[in-house]
Amino acid sequence: MTPATKTHPLTRRERRARILLFAQFVPIFAVLVILFGGALVMAVLQSLGFAPWFGVNTFPTLDYFAALWGSATFWTSLGLTLYYATVSTFLALVLGTLLALALVKTFRGKTFYKYLYKLPLMIPYTVGIALAVIMLGNGGMLSRLAAFFGVIDDPGQFLQILKTHYGWGIIAVYIWKQTPFITLAVYAVLLGIGRETEEAAAILGAGRRTIFFRVTLPQILPGIVSSTLICFAFNIGAFEAPFILGGGFPDTLPVVAWRYFNDSDYTLQLRGMATVVSIGIVSGVILFAYLAVYRTFERRMGRN
Amino acid sequence: MKLGISLFGVLAMCTAQAAWADVPASAALRDGFIAGKLDWSAVEARAKEEGKVNLYYWGGDDTLNVWMDSVVAPAMAAQGIKLNPVRVTATKDAVDLVLAEKNSGKGVGEGSVDLIWVNGDNFATLKQQGALYGGFAQRLPNAKNLEWDPSDQRALLNLRDFGVETNGTEMPWSGEEYNCSVNSKRVADADIPHDFDALKAYLEKHPGKFTYVKPPHYIGNTFVEEAIYAHNPDGTGAAPFQQSLSEIKPEELARLIAPGLEYLKSLEPLLLNGASGSPNYPEDNKAIDGLFLNGEIDFNCKFGLYGVAKGLSTGTYPEGAKQFVFPKNTMIKNKNYLVIPSNAPDGAAAMVLANWMSSVESQASKLKEVGMPSGIDSWKLNKTDADLIASSSPGLVGVTQDEMDANAAPDTNATLVNVIKATWLEYIERHNPAPIAQIVAEAYKTAK
Amino acid sequence: MARREDIALTSRLSPFQRIYLLLIAGFIVGPFLPLIIQSLAFRWAWPDLMPGTWWMQQRGKSAIPLAWDYVLSPYSHIWEAAINTVAIGTTVTAICLVICLPAARVLARERFRGKGAFEFFLSLPLIVPEAAIGMALLMIFIRLGLAGSFFGIVIAHLIPTIPYMVRMLTAVYQGLGKDFEEQAMILGARPMQILFRVTLPMLLPGVVAGALFTFLVSTNIFLLTFFLGQGKIITLPTLLFAKISGGTLDASAAGITLVVTLPGIVLLLITERFIKEEAFGKGFGN
Repeated sequence: MTPATKTHPLTRRERRARILLFAQFVPIFAVLVILFGGALVMAVLQSLGFAPWFGVNTFPTLDYFAALWGSATFWTSLGLTLYYATVSTFLALVLGTLLALALVKTFRGKTFYKYLYKLPLMIPYTVGIALAVIMLGNGGMLSRLAAFFGVIDDPGQFLQILKTHYGWGIIAVYIWKQTPFITLAVYAVLLGIGRETEEAAAILGAGRRTIFFRVTLPQILPGIVSSTLICFAFNIGAFEAPFILGGGFPDTLPVVAWRYFNDSDYTLQLRGMATVVSIGIVSGVILFAYLAVYRTFERRMGRN
Repeated sequence: MKLGISLFGVLAMCTAQAAWADVPASAALRDGFIAGKLDWSAVEARAKEEGKVNLYYWGGDDTLNVWMDSVVAPAMAAQGIKLNPVRVTATKDAVDLVLAEKNSGKGVGEGSVDLIWVNGDNFATLKQQGALYGGFAQRLPNAKNLEWDPSDQRALLNLRDFGVETNGTEMPWSGEEYNCSVNSKRVADADIPHDFDALKAYLEKHPGKFTYVKPPHYIGNTFVEEAIYAHNPDGTGAAPFQQSLSEIKPEELARLIAPGLEYLKSLEPLLLNGASGSPNYPEDNKAIDGLFLNGEIDFNCKFGLYGVAKGLSTGTYPEGAKQFVFPKNTMIKNKNYLVIPSNAPDGAAAMVLANWMSSVESQASKLKEVGMPSGIDSWKLNKTDADLIASSSPGLVGVTQDEMDANAAPDTNATLVNVIKATWLEYIERHNPAPIAQIVAEAYKTAK
Repeated sequence: MARREDIALTSRLSPFQRIYLLLIAGFIVGPFLPLIIQSLAFRWAWPDLMPGTWWMQQRGKSAIPLAWDYVLSPYSHIWEAAINTVAIGTTVTAICLVICLPAARVLARERFRGKGAFEFFLSLPLIVPEAAIGMALLMIFIRLGLAGSFFGIVIAHLIPTIPYMVRMLTAVYQGLGKDFEEQAMILGARPMQILFRVTLPMLLPGVVAGALFTFLVSTNIFLLTFFLGQGKIITLPTLLFAKISGGTLDASAAGITLVVTLPGIVLLLITERFIKEEAFGKGFGN
């Protein structure tokens, strides 16, 4: 489409071509709008009091949000959710970037290593949870090793890693699964950009750290941003790890929502829906802010 | 586009399903059989036509899963019925499914759940929502193995489920009694507590070596109820808790349960990881078994009359595990049941399955293979059958049946259980500083 | 800050990196060792570093199948879960391809107003929490009778897979350019012929990569299957969840964990051949 054709009225053939063009979007658009959009709209409607099948129809009301946001535990849960999501995304980013930087080097066994590090990517989170249980629990391997070396003589004396608030168990599972993901994204970009710019910088006398922060980082930044966005969003909405490894009440928000859904009081399902919508809003706001900061940063970089 | 068409197709199929299901026949059979106009052979014939039965049950026990697939399925197949055992992670999931389908207008013969293993509040929910098939239980041929005479106190467990009248809408399947086990290699006999005060004294010496399953899981609810019975300020134990929610005023209930809850609150710092301010309550019986095996806790309280015998044979209990009487006089004894929901697609097949499950043959096999206690009443059986049941039992370890019987207490009325567990969640888990009376009053509002 | 450039740009690992690689490898695969031991144990209590009783010692004595005997028996439902997982993954991948191919073609080649917004819309499912989608869909699916059905699970899996597929395929089309189709047209080929004889063969490696990746994402989904399957449709992740949801791991749970890991290893061996790191980069990166 050149600008010239836009100003003139479209010919019949062009119009047909256009329709044909957009016809190709119909399937993907239909699926996403009906399923994804439909789900979102239903969630919002229900959280606003629309559930005639429970005999509840007070639409539109903010009562469910008010009840939810009015309780102190909601904010504790939100803090807990954000804590797990942020800390694990950040750690996975650091570990993943370091790993990617090591992977571009040549070393013996690299082919094998490239298989090995991707393993967590290929298997479900539930496997990671099982590994956390067997390693990190008070009756787990690390606790047994501590007992073997005489550091402790009762499982209760071992560090509380699982089944506790702000514990490292959930974070360990996320990091285990997401470090390879971020490594892959960063490593792929590193391969793509080659080493010429770094070499040029080195010839101009830049140090190792300067090269990384001034030359390499800006180039891998888009990969970092998009992969951390995905990880962060996943971590906010993740259910199974906090459910199995978390410390119980107050739970992270997805677990809170699930408990509302499973309460024998069916009207609490609407509060569960309000919880779910709250998760969406919070994650939306944070991700948009993140993207906005990144765009501003990029623009500034571009101007420089 | 293609997906749109197929979506539309599925929608059309869903609405057409009503036409496929033989609604009048299902309803006619149910009404005819329950009213006594149709006999058992009519049910069996109809069950063959239906050809399948969807049994929903808690699937967290490997031995029970094996038994369902290797014993029940062939027995059903012999009667021309394909057993479709659906393992759910929580019984409530099955109840939710029934209610969701009922609320979307699916009636007799149109749902997807035929039979649910259930008791207590889940049954009460189904009853309250009018989602029961009907009073079939006493019409089943194997009803002869159970005591139904209301003048006999022992019949109460067959006529009431957590104090809620069943009216024959569910068939007793297993009998249970809450009890605790101890690792005798870790704890000397003299130190084993037999009442709540002794437990607290033990924990003051050994902090952190105990916990109980977290309500609203029924195993946790039961522990809370026992504590409430034992701390009943009137000293009347379980008696006042047999009334339903409408018979007992919130202030009165609050007065009765307050000492028990205060006790549990005072126990919190002494529980597993309680020193940190946030005690660890396991989510289910598997979780508490794991803690017990690793010696993280010294006592394991749950349902499971033959739990120790079974745990030793599957390696889930530590060597040296044995049962003990706790708490004296208030060990809750109850039954669990098989219920048919109102929208069961294969009602006749469900009755055939429920009938087979209460046969002597099936009960003996379940005792032997799964270690689940018998749900039928041995005094109703002839000597051979009663002996078969007795000899199939894996046996108690460390306690006698007489001790178990002497210390038994009835369950709490299901309608009160909802209030009690809500109060526990508010007062203990959520640290609500409000007085118990106020929390109970709030719970009454949502319960109604 | 004139450091030794030769070190900065050497293609050899620094000592730190050497240790780091080892630590990460240990972190990733180390925990599998106790898992394997647990799967062979009968009773393995704290503080034993090795099981007190092994499964093989108890094998004949127990009434029910233990450990691997249970895992590999039909009672564990692991085959059913495995078949479901593969069937759902394959169906999702096929539908996803059909839906995404045309869209990716247009996205790669045409410029139109609102394209940026449309692309953003396409990646939205990746950043809306799965819990939100799952619970909202459950309500709709129960009304439509899709809850607990194979088809219901398949269409739910489309939501998180489409964004990946469309991005990877768009990258493939961008790499191909437009000229070869035009040349074929000039040479007189009909649209169908172009599609099957020219476009598809050239696209194939990229399509295989996208398909493998979609399959992978689908087989890893837990939450949507758990919420929408209602226990009627079990897959490997949901089966494992049911086993470990209490937070403890017995021998059969450890065995099931290992079986659930197997397809991942197979996929890993295949994807390393078909998906080059660069392809992933195009999928997530820029």
